[in-house]
Amino acid sequence: MSDWGWVTFGYVVVYGGVVAYGASLLWRIKVARRKLKARG
Amino acid sequence: MTNASSDANTMRWLDLAAVGALLVALGFALFSPPDVVQGDLTRMMYIHVPTILVAYGAFAVTTVATIGYLITKSLKWDTIAASSAEVGVVFLGLAIATGMIWGKPVWGVWWTWDARLTTTAIMFFIYLGYLGLRRSIPDPVARAQRSAILGIVAVVQIPIVHFSVVWWNALHQAPTILRPGDPQIDSPLLGALLVGLVAFAIVYVWLLVRRVQLANIDAELEARDAASDVPMAGEAVSAPDLTSGGTAS
Repeated sequence: MSDWGWVTFGYVVVYGGVVAYGASLLWRIKVARRKLKARG
Repeated sequence: MTNASSDANTMRWLDLAAVGALLVALGFALFSPPDVVQGDLTRMMYIHVPTILVAYGAFAVTTVATIGYLITKSLKWDTIAASSAEVGVVFLGLAIATGMIWGKPVWGVWWTWDARLTTTAIMFFIYLGYLGLRRSIPDPVARAQRSAILGIVAVVQIPIVHFSVVWWNALHQAPTILRPGDPQIDSPLLGALLVGLVAFAIVYVWLLVRRVQLANIDAELEARDAASDVPMAGEAVSAPDLTSGGTAS
């Protein structure tokens, strides 16, 4: 793999990891709020 | 403006700041000049170094918040400690992953039992253990008290990991920025690195605030469940009371 290939791989892992974790938090907050609302 | 809408506005700005910071850092990383020795591979530094430094910071916050809990006995501090540890584990995992991806083309191996790599792996598993310990204790007060010990002791690993390359013969290079004297790096590369560091610090704050928000909603749900006395799956079935005068036919 070329140098740029390794660099792209690394950036996809880090940016993908941060975005995936952030999105999972937002999703879990949304689901938990919905549960809270349903229970009044 | 109500408190709730003001908080929502602040969160929206923080969301935008995190996304913007990541994009700016990406721009600096891609357009900075290549290194004279490593060429374009040096761009790995702009994600690898900030992720490990942010992980150090996150674990330091865990320790400070744990001490805050021990002094005040307020579970708010414990929530911050646990949330920061989780975000720190994510950043540390990413730092280990980028180190492996950088190591393969430069060292020829994904992993080696070098002092820096080994101590970092130990730190990763200890903080995973901290999170596992918390999940194993249902009572919030007992959970906070027992995990506080590990939350404070585990932080000694930060100097061990950081100075491992100084104390032992290591394949990993010595510190470039956090070292006695001036940073050993050319200014355009240092600029891109500092932008990356600030960007990932902003992302850390955003993730921490969101994780604390989630923990608070979960705690409220748990409290409501406990108050409403709704039977939960896994709860033991109580035996019927046979002493109250019921007649058996």
